[in-house]
Amino acid sequence: MTRGFLLALLILLAAAPVRANPARDAILAAFATQAKRDDPAFAGFSADRGKALWQANHSGGKPETPSCATCHTKDPTAAGQTRAGKTIAPMAVSMTPDRFTDPEKVAKWFARNCNNVLGRACSAAEKGDIITYLSGQ
Amino acid sequence: MTSIAAEERAQRRLRVWDLPTRLFHWCLVGLVSFALVTGLVAPKWWVGPHILAGYGIAILLAFRAVWAFYGPEYSRLSSFAFGPKQALAHLRGLVRLSGRHYTGHNPSGAMMIFALFGFLCLLVATGFLVQGGFEKQGPLAGFLTFAVGNDARYVHKALALLLIGLIALHLAGVLVGSRLMNEHLIMPMITGWKAGVPTADPRPARPLAALLWLALLAAAVGAIVPQLASRPALGLPDMPPNAVMLAECGACHAPFHPSLLPRASWAILMAGLSDHFGEDASLPAAKRDEIAAYLSRYAAEAWDTKAAHRFAAVAPENPISITATPGWRRFHARLDPALFRSHAVGTPGNCTACHKDAGTGRFDPQAIAIPEG
Repeated sequence: MTRGFLLALLILLAAAPVRANPARDAILAAFATQAKRDDPAFAGFSADRGKALWQANHSGGKPETPSCATCHTKDPTAAGQTRAGKTIAPMAVSMTPDRFTDPEKVAKWFARNCNNVLGRACSAAEKGDIITYLSGQ
Repeated sequence: MTSIAAEERAQRRLRVWDLPTRLFHWCLVGLVSFALVTGLVAPKWWVGPHILAGYGIAILLAFRAVWAFYGPEYSRLSSFAFGPKQALAHLRGLVRLSGRHYTGHNPSGAMMIFALFGFLCLLVATGFLVQGGFEKQGPLAGFLTFAVGNDARYVHKALALLLIGLIALHLAGVLVGSRLMNEHLIMPMITGWKAGVPTADPRPARPLAALLWLALLAAAVGAIVPQLASRPALGLPDMPPNAVMLAECGACHAPFHPSLLPRASWAILMAGLSDHFGEDASLPAAKRDEIAAYLSRYAAEAWDTKAAHRFAAVAPENPISITATPGWRRFHARLDPALFRSHAVGTPGNCTACHKDAGTGRFDPQAIAIPEG
């Protein structure tokens, strides 16, 4: 009985789609508009591109932080740690549902961390890819 | 003066040391030993029990002072109110094996009692100065500057080291004296029984009078100490929490207390957020300016705490790093460097990993808890 219930719950959880959130959708929409303006050939965000960007080691940024994974770890559903030792809640939306719902916060951290990791600002397409990737995690 | 032979003939076993005096002596031995070990050898977070031992010693001294007037014959000050001249004569006699025997305290023993009593009083007094001025705690926190407390630390420690010398001398005196006088001096302090000539008219103890005085003393302390302690600690300004500072600084690290760096250092730090210890920590101008104003207002210059004083002397080559200050390095010099790289700490700047009160800027030794592993 209990086992059947748990199994049903598990199936339900596994089948649950990426939870939509109006604030996050609005942020993504704004990035999509900008991406289209930057490159008329833009054809939507890609979780795979976002994953590649997240996992890769880059060389243009600060030597202490070559990758997103340096602080956030390779697994977005796991908690990360700042270089100063503070725990960072998982970036995956499934673990931290309010990720990417505050435009000010999104702008601040992309500005800082793209500079830290890449040594440049991220394009709207890159930001959208990252959010799309993490929304599906 | 009666001859030694005549005196020996008249000697009997007497109950020279009363129970309260013996209890006082051995409690003092215990508390002073404990205070010496916790003060000089044990890690700094033993300061709490050390202070409690100090309170205990103060109570014992108060009791003994009262008992010196209301105790039984041989506990009374007047029975051993000898001067240095008599002590010298007594020592000379001891060496020649020709001195007279004293039933109670002998003159050189009396000198030692006065010295120990005086040193312990001074140790208690300077202990309160350290507690109040240096740690900004206890009844005197509202009256003492850091400078006074810091100076008192050196005096307190010097007195403690001298006290060890006195204790060694006291033990040597007891052992050598026992040998020269052919009389065991330690057992009497345990059993109370000692060889002696009965005094013609021994004064009895007046425990009620003693209790009355002790009660009066306790009432006076009970009335005065809360009064003193109610005064806010000197040099600790009222600092309202700043939500922007706590949120923004706290996003990456436990927010550092503004008192931990001087104004000039905070100014440099806040002007260089785009390369903040190897990371871009840029903020919108409005938030940055609010945090900068807050840090400047409550910077080290506004505080009289030990942390504010210690870290105000920054490293010239790295004026924005607390862990680069000579003070920080000195305090942490004895710790294993691996501790700072351990998972629980991660980095030397993670104060709160060990200092549970780092957020208050107090850095009470009692709030230190070094994480395991």
